[in-house]
Amino acid sequence: MPVNVPTKPVEDTVPKVNDEVAVGSDLEFQYRWWKFERIVWTFFLLIVIADVLGVFGRGPLAKAHARSKDGTIDLQYERVERFSTPSIMTVKFGPNAIRDGKIQLWVSQSVIKQLGNQRVVPQPLISTVGQDGILYTFPAASAPASASFALEPSSPGVFDFALQVPGAERLSARVYVMP
Amino acid sequence: MATIIHAVLGYIFLLLSVRVLSRRPGAQLTLFEFVLIFLMGGVIILATMGDDHSETNAVCAVLVVGLMHRLVSYVKSRFPRWDEWLDGVPLVLLEQGKWQTDVMNKMRVQDTDVMAAAREQGVRTLEQIKYAVLERNGSISIIQEKKSQ
Repeated sequence: MPVNVPTKPVEDTVPKVNDEVAVGSDLEFQYRWWKFERIVWTFFLLIVIADVLGVFGRGPLAKAHARSKDGTIDLQYERVERFSTPSIMTVKFGPNAIRDGKIQLWVSQSVIKQLGNQRVVPQPLISTVGQDGILYTFPAASAPASASFALEPSSPGVFDFALQVPGAERLSARVYVMP
Repeated sequence: MATIIHAVLGYIFLLLSVRVLSRRPGAQLTLFEFVLIFLMGGVIILATMGDDHSETNAVCAVLVVGLMHRLVSYVKSRFPRWDEWLDGVPLVLLEQGKWQTDVMNKMRVQDTDVMAAAREQGVRTLEQIKYAVLERNGSISIIQEKKSQ
């Protein structure tokens, strides 16, 4: 059985140069495109500069520092993190954080869940779950003492977190996790 | 789900990047283009696959890229204006004995590129060329003086 193939008459729709060569050139469009191209390249350049500076994380502008007013906690972290990319958050403790040869540090649940805490160095003696977070107990001899948290954010977004030595001032901060 | 989003974004970003890189004369890939393709592709694939190196994830990513390509082809054939934005338009480089210098400078094409294309098509001198057109795929078409008369 013969197949009916749809057809249509040939129309001369391709614009001609000097009315003799069908090129389909459109200089008006091309000038618009070159303008768009310049805008795109400028945008790309700005992205690269912003990235070098750390606007999207892992650069000088991404590094942040916070300190509790009573000097119990001194926190170094990255205010801009990247999804599924490791980083280190360091907590330095003041002398008044050490009690009976131990330091207790409460961290909010967001450090564990959204910011994806993988491990804590040094290994805490005790980790107590509760109060919307985890209370770590570290052995400590004398100041300066510090603990490091290996983070690896599990999802993009904006997350608040908090740290506190029980009985001292709570330190809160915000982290932007890039996709 | 993340793979699908990453593959779609990766495809769009690569399409835009390659498009604004401009056509270089010569339809065949040069070493420069090889470097670009392998490096860009390699970088994008890392974000697309993430930590999931499973066959399922790889198949899904390939399917998404294939579907995106099909969608872009459909848009190009259905909407001529989008075709211009996605593939560009042919540009006249030489018209009746006059170089179109602005077009040539912006497209980074030199007269030697036009002559190279002319020689490939059996044209010996510039005087024999009536029109030279930079095609959308980067090749240069030569229309000879005697043939157009």
